[in-house]
Amino acid sequence: MDVLDVRGLTKHYTDFTLKDITFSLKQGRIMGLIGKNGAGKTTTLKSILNLVCPDAGTIEMFGQDFRKNEESCKQNIGVVLGEIDFYKHKRLSDITDVTKRFYENWDEDAYQRYLKTFSLNPRKRVKELSSGMKVKYMIALALSHSARLLIFDEPTSGLDPVFRDDLLGLFRQLVKSGERSILYSTHITSDLEKCADDITYIKDGRLLRSAEKSEFIKSFQYLKEPGEKGELTLEEIMIRTERRNYNV
Amino acid sequence: MFDLLYKELKLAAHPNLFIFTLLGVLVIVPAYPYGMVFMFGCLGPYITFMYGRETNDIYYTALLPVRKKDTVKAKCLLLVLAQMTQLIISLPFAFLRVKVLLAGNPAGIEANIAYYGFGLITYAIFNFIFLTHFFKTAYKAGKAFLAAIIPAFLVVAVMEVLVHFPKFQWLDSIAPDAMLKQLPILVIGIVIYVISIFTAYHVSAERFEHVDL
Repeated sequence: MDVLDVRGLTKHYTDFTLKDITFSLKQGRIMGLIGKNGAGKTTTLKSILNLVCPDAGTIEMFGQDFRKNEESCKQNIGVVLGEIDFYKHKRLSDITDVTKRFYENWDEDAYQRYLKTFSLNPRKRVKELSSGMKVKYMIALALSHSARLLIFDEPTSGLDPVFRDDLLGLFRQLVKSGERSILYSTHITSDLEKCADDITYIKDGRLLRSAEKSEFIKSFQYLKEPGEKGELTLEEIMIRTERRNYNV
Repeated sequence: MFDLLYKELKLAAHPNLFIFTLLGVLVIVPAYPYGMVFMFGCLGPYITFMYGRETNDIYYTALLPVRKKDTVKAKCLLLVLAQMTQLIISLPFAFLRVKVLLAGNPAGIEANIAYYGFGLITYAIFNFIFLTHFFKTAYKAGKAFLAAIIPAFLVVAVMEVLVHFPKFQWLDSIAPDAMLKQLPILVIGIVIYVISIFTAYHVSAERFEHVDL
């Protein structure tokens, strides 16, 4: 079953166009949305969430039209937007106290459990948390309302390798039950090697390919140069696809 | 609706909003241009909107399981709550000053029925312009405030100046018959305030739907 189905998503800006993005995410899977900086990953995620108003396209989430069922769809998702901190001077307990009021399925016991598991102190203020702990706090909030789809915008950017590995391991655990799905954007290809079932590649606002990881890698082997042995890695695929020559 | 308001008060509101709301008590000051109370009622929300931009409040609200237009509703509710609370806080002091300050207010209008009517008109003008301007972008709070506070201030200035003309002495009175004459101003104020906030909500929500966060 598809938890997310994006069709023909298009958004025009003066100097950038996100054009005809189409992909779908199945239940229980992790999809990496890749592309270099400025390719349109964040615009895609924000358009899915109605934070950006797309010019064309449809978003189906859990089988429902997202725009027509915004409230019920949002009940079942958890979102972490990179580089955006909410209420830096507020304590986690205050933010949680407000957030939980909006969710029908809020599970306080589960929330307390996640706080312990992630070693989060609810008395701390957002500004006192490291980047990784902020992501973990947002995950704790998302899991406590039984989110079935987690959407992360560059969750591993700015994290040290240890924390990054820790987070990716957590992602794997989250989908293990087959109930949850994750869509996350990144430009760090090693994250995808470790933690992605499917890959959607956006280049200059256009969808290059969306497929299961091994199939995705296979489809780019034409980029191999004569005499090269072995499969190209995701990093090599991305570099060769994006490579530009500067005539300076 | 209650949850949205709770969120506004607990997370979004700047402490200044509470302080400026309490400034309804200024009507007990013996000589003071009481129109300033309404200016504080406009300044408090503006500071909160600026604070909201700093704390990414709009993003947080837009990600909650609410419709995008509920982000606008939350702000409208906060404005109404703050302004009405300010007026309610001022009321007992307006009654008290009649008993303890028999000389009246030499600086400007009395805290009478006309005063509250003008106040509601001031708020109505400010709210409509400020909200509809702000939600064009959801971040240009300064520009929206400037566009809104100038006409709002003009209403206050007219009110404060008018009462110094002998012809409009009845506006400055707390005598029962004069206050009866002032009653239509209050009624007009209430009607304009209600129409303004509902229209502001609809126009702002429509504009915010097209804003790219």
